[in-house]
Amino acid sequence: MNHTSIQKGEAQHSSSLIVRLALVLPTLLIWCSTAAIAQTSGGSGSLTAPFSMRVTHLLGFENAKNNANGTLSIQNTALQFQQNGQAAVQIEIASVQDAFLGEQSKQVGGVPMTLGKAAAPFGGGRVVSLFAHKKYDTVTLEYVDANGGLHGAIFQLKKGQGEVLRKELAAKGAHISNADDKLPKQSNAEVTNENK
Amino acid sequence: MKTNRPNLSITLGAVMAAATFITLTQLPPAATAKPSDGSNTASAAQWSVQVDKVNPGEVELSSSFQIAIYESLLNELSKTRQFKQVLRDGDHNASGVSDLLILKTTVEKYSAGSETKRAVTTVAGATKLTVRSQLCSRDGQVILDQTVNGNVRFFGSNLRATHNLAHNIAKTIKQASLPEPSSSAGTRASTNAN
Repeated sequence: MNHTSIQKGEAQHSSSLIVRLALVLPTLLIWCSTAAIAQTSGGSGSLTAPFSMRVTHLLGFENAKNNANGTLSIQNTALQFQQNGQAAVQIEIASVQDAFLGEQSKQVGGVPMTLGKAAAPFGGGRVVSLFAHKKYDTVTLEYVDANGGLHGAIFQLKKGQGEVLRKELAAKGAHISNADDKLPKQSNAEVTNENK
Repeated sequence: MKTNRPNLSITLGAVMAAATFITLTQLPPAATAKPSDGSNTASAAQWSVQVDKVNPGEVELSSSFQIAIYESLLNELSKTRQFKQVLRDGDHNASGVSDLLILKTTVEKYSAGSETKRAVTTVAGATKLTVRSQLCSRDGQVILDQTVNGNVRFFGSNLRATHNLAHNIAKTIKQASLPEPSSSAGTRASTNAN
C-alpha cells in the first residue's frame, strides 16, 4: 500500500516538473529571441539610418524659402534640406566653416493667434501671451560656395536638438570651432540690458 | 445696457482693424531667397558692391543676428537694383570687377528685447539695432558713412530687426548720391574730348 502511494507521488512530482519545464523553456526562448531581435535592429538602425530632423529654415540656406518647415538630413557628404513636397536643396558638409548654437523664445500661433489676442476683451490677450511662447534652439551655419563667397543659414529646431545637429556635422567633417561647447547661457532673445 | 452693446462691438471692430493693419505692416516679406549674388538689370554706369561680414565691434551680438544682417543686406541690396552685381564676402569674382564698392557694417548698439514682453506690454521689450554702415572704394576711401537703426517695437520675432535694419541701410544707400564709377567717368571724358 505504502509502496504504491510512494510511486504515485513520484509520478505526480515528475509530471509537474515536466509541466514547469514546458512553461519555462518557451518563455526563456521567447525572451532570448526578443532581446536578440532588439539588439540587431538597434545596432543596424544606429549604423545605417541617415541623420534627419524636423526644422524650420529661417533664412539663408541655398535656394530654400524663408520660414519654411522641412526636414534637415545628412546624406553621405551633403547637408540636405527638403521642404514639404518640394525638391531638396543641399550643400557639401565640407563647405561648412562654422556652426553656432543659440536659443530663442517665440510666441506661438502666428498671425491668427495675434489677432485673437488683440481682439480678446479686458486685456485677456496679454495674459495668453504670457503663456503662449515656446523656447527653441537655433543653429547658425556659415558656409562657402564654389566661388568662395560666404553664406549664412539659420535653422530653428526643437529645444535640445541644436547640440545634436552640431555634433553630427562635426563628426561628418564640418569645420566647427569649439564643437564641445554647450549652448550659451545668455539667451539671444531674452536679454534685456542694452549693450554699450 | 442695450446702448453699450453697439459701442462694445464698434470698439472690438476698431481694435481688430488696428491689429490687422499693424500686423500686416510688420509681416515679413514673402520669401525672397533668390540667389543674391546674381547680376541685376543694370545700366552702363553702375557700381558693383561686395558686402563684408558684419563686424560685431564691442557689442555682444549673437552669430545668428550677424548672419541675419549679412544675408538680409545681400537680399535688400539686390532688390534695389542700384548695383550691377551684389557680391558676397570672400567671393573670388570680386577681383575681376572694376567698379567695386565694399560695404562694411559695424554694430554700435544692440538691445536684444523680448517678443514675449512686446506681446504682453506692447510698450516694452523692443529689439533695437544700431550699426555704422560704410561704403568704401577698393583703395579704402570712404564714400558713404551713415549710422542706421533697425527696430522691432510691436509684433514679430527679434530677428525681424535685422531685416528692418538691412532695409534701412539699402534705402540710405539708394538715397545717397554716389560718385560715378571710374570706368563710366573715363568713357564720358573720352566722349567729351571727341
